[in-house]
Parts: sequence; C-alpha cells; structure tokens
Amino acid sequence: MKRFFSVALGILTAIGGFVDIGDIVANAETGARFGIAHAWVLLVGVVGICVYAEMSGRVTAVSGRPVFDLVRERLGPRMALANLAGSVLVTVLTLGAELGGVGLALQLATSVGYLLWVPVVAVVLWAALWRAKFSVLENVFGLTGLALIVFVVAFLHLGPDPGQLWQQAAHPGPPQGEDWGTYWFFAIALFASALTPYEVFFFSSGAVEERWTARDLITSRINVFVGFPLGGLLAFALMLTSATVFHPLAMSVDSLSQVAMPAVLALGELGLAAALLGFFAATFGAAMETGLSAGYTVAQYFGWSWGKLRRPREAARFHTVVLGSIVAGVAILMTTIDPIQLTEYTLIFSAVALPLTYLPILVVANDRGYLGNRVNGRTANALGIIYLIVIVAAAVAAVPLMATTRMGAG
Amino acid sequence: MLLGFDLLDRQIVDRDGQPVGKVDDVELGYDADGVPRISALLTGQRVLGRRIGGGLGRWIAGVAHRLAGPGDRGPVRIGIEQVGRIGSAIDLTVSRGDLPEPPLETWLREHLIGRIPGAGHES
Repeated sequence: MKRFFSVALGILTAIGGFVDIGDIVANAETGARFGIAHAWVLLVGVVGICVYAEMSGRVTAVSGRPVFDLVRERLGPRMALANLAGSVLVTVLTLGAELGGVGLALQLATSVGYLLWVPVVAVVLWAALWRAKFSVLENVFGLTGLALIVFVVAFLHLGPDPGQLWQQAAHPGPPQGEDWGTYWFFAIALFASALTPYEVFFFSSGAVEERWTARDLITSRINVFVGFPLGGLLAFALMLTSATVFHPLAMSVDSLSQVAMPAVLALGELGLAAALLGFFAATFGAAMETGLSAGYTVAQYFGWSWGKLRRPREAARFHTVVLGSIVAGVAILMTTIDPIQLTEYTLIFSAVALPLTYLPILVVANDRGYLGNRVNGRTANALGIIYLIVIVAAAVAAVPLMATTRMGAG
Repeated sequence: MLLGFDLLDRQIVDRDGQPVGKVDDVELGYDADGVPRISALLTGQRVLGRRIGGGLGRWIAGVAHRLAGPGDRGPVRIGIEQVGRIGSAIDLTVSRGDLPEPPLETWLREHLIGRIPGAGHES
C-alpha cells in the first residue's frame, strides 16, 4: 500500500513538475498565434522526454550513478567540460526565467512589481534548498502545480469549436498572416520546452539521492510514462485555451496575465486564483530543480560530494555552486530584461544545447559495462536515434531561425 | 583492463560510498621485472587541469595550487593497495576521512558555507 502511494505521489509530482515557465510561455504564445497547428510538436516533445528520461532513470537505477557522472567517462575531460559549460549556462538562464515567472505570478496576485519580488523569492528559494527536506518540497510544489488543471476545466467551459481546432491540428503549418519561418521557430521553442535538459539531470540525480536500485525500475517507468504525458496534457490545455480565446481575435500573448486570461473568462476570480497558484507552484518548483541541477552537474563533473541529503558543510562546493547560480539568476533579472523574453531566449539556447545532453545519455544507455543486460532494447534505440536526429536538426536550425524571424516576430 | 576506458575519469567513492573525487590521472610505477603497473590514482583539479591542457587547464590547475596554500603536498594520491572493487564507480577500502581533504572544499567550508547558520544540519 505504501508503495502504491509512493508511485501515485511520483506520478502526481511528475504531472505538476513537467510544466515550467518555458512550457507556459511557449504553449500560450503558439496557441494565440497559430491556433493548435503545433499540437503535433508537443506530442513529439512529450514522447521524446519520455524516451530519454526512461533511459536516464534506468542508467541510474542499475549503475547507481547519475547520468552526468558517466558523461565525463565517455566523452573525456575536455568534451565533457564543454558540455558542462553549455549545460550550466542553459540551466542558470532557465533558473533566471523561472525566478522571473515566480515574480510575475506574485505581481499578478499582489500588484507589487515583480522586480521587488525577485530577491525575496531568491532568498526563500535558497533557504528551501539549504534547509528544507527536499522530498516534501517536491511533493508540495508538484501537487500544487496540479492547480493548472484549471486550464483543462476552462477549455471545456469556453465552449470551443472542435471542428475548427481539429482543422488547425490536422493541417500543420502557418495560418494567414504567419510564415513558415515563424512557424518553425515556435515549433523549436515548443520542442525545447518539453525536453528541457535540466529535467533529465534532475531526474537521475534525484534517483541517486533516493537510492534507487534495479528494483525501482518499474517506479521509474511509471513516473515517466504516466506522469510526463499527463503533464504534457496540462501544457496542451494552455495551448488549447489560448487558441480558443486569442487566436480568433488575432491577438498575441506576451505577458503572464494574458496567459491566465482564458481561466478568468471561463471561471472568473476562482479561475484566476487557481491559475496564479498553478503558475507560482510550477515556476517555483522548477526554480528549485534548476538550482539543484546546476550544482549536480558541476559536482558530478568534478567528482565532488553533492546532494540535498548531506549536511551543507559536507558538500561545501556543491552548495556554493547552488548559491552562485541563484545569485546569477537574480543578476540576470536585475538587468530588467523582460522575464517572458528571457524565457524565449532560454528556450532557443536550450534547443542549441539539447544534443549535448541527449547524445551522451544514448551512448551510456548502450554501455554493457554499466547496465549489463539492461542496455537499450531495439525500440529504445530506434526511438533514441530518431529523436537524436530531430534534436540535432532543431539545434542547427534554432539560431538561424531566431535571426531570420527576429525572435519569431516575422 | 583499458586504462582510458575503465579507470580514467571514473568516480571514486570511499568504503562508505561517499564521493572522494574522480580519477583525474594515474601514477605508473615499475615492478621488480620492469613491467609498468598502476601504483596510484591521482585526483584533484591540479591533475585535471594538466590533462585538459591549454590556457583553461593551466588556470584550473593554478587556482587549485593557490588554494592548497604554502603547505602544498601535491595532488591527492590514492595508493593502488587502497582500491577495492572497480565497478561503475571505484570503491576504496579506506574512509574519506583518512585521505587529505581537497583544498577547495576546505576553503569554501571555512570561508563561506560553514559560516552560514544551519550548515551542520541534515535536511
């Protein structure tokens, strides 16, 4: 029974934890501008994160080592250092974007400017990572993130036109007034939002902290194959509501308050409250995960002791990196860059860095030295290779598309 | 055993499973018959910096050297006799406390992390 609850909790946390500021922004923006003509991209992204999260969960459960730990052994110290630099840069940028998202959610709830909230949020975040029991935090924020279900309810309330939505989904491509360049630009942002690199680092490091063994493989798979797709459903609800409300009016979404608007239209103040709670929990939860992930990757490259379960003084280098990345995240926001814009840039940089994360996972998941007979089967390898091709294509196209479409402005 | 594939860059953990560092380099010696043998594992940013090479490598090694201070005894050396099993990590037969502590960890604990309230509490 206890096991059942832990699995159920894992699933619920994965659902709430899947959505972060990147998913919120990318889904709402594409929904408004393109209807749900990008629905297939979200589906492709969710399957991709499932394929690779399953691999990294398996590697960790069987070998007892987190994925990034093994990356250096297989890439060598130089390549792995370049990989580390890219991953940490993207993770810290993401942390900045998540902090900005928390600030914006609080601004909407209190009318106090987000820049005033950011330092407060950063201190609370740091204190949480310093002292609080992580499993409790993860569960609290994962469960609270489920408040985003309000967008599913709102979608049903809004009385959408299924025929028209089906028309958009079944005919992928730019609607009138948009071109293929912006269509693909947003496709890449959406894809990157589903496959955010910190998710796999966090997933496998968390598994080490919870001392998973080969017996936990089934738990890992259930979390991944049930939790992430349901999380993807919440992201899809954001796209659907945005497509229902904003697309017919040819409006674009460029603030968090607009993302919440469909929930307000459908359910009034209660809808607003649930949406803000969901945004807050999803972004704060993701800020915790990115802060820890920066520490995990650096410590695992150098072989330092790391983790939430150790006393901070026994993992001084790890905690210094975590502290440093929170400070860096705050510093990025203090340049007064718009957090939504920061999120857009972060997604594009993530897309560029994706091969750095996913190629080594595929290599390690085929290594009998670590995994014995638990190496990738044919299906996992076929999917892994197909996705790697897609990931590389997205990485190569990201910057040229960013330049030619001027960040999707067309 | 392939040196580059099975030993270099692998995580070293002590007998309690606590991380010690990575195998940043190995020390080779010769036995009585003149056959080269691995005599020790070396770990620490100084050795790593040498392997990375170039300006960046020199910088990493330089910082590590400065942090080690005047009583610098060189990189952490783990004699091959202290190595137990080699699996997905390298298990030592000794405890982490018996080995010299990496200077960066000591410095950060004394100057930053250890000074923050709650540093000694498990969460």
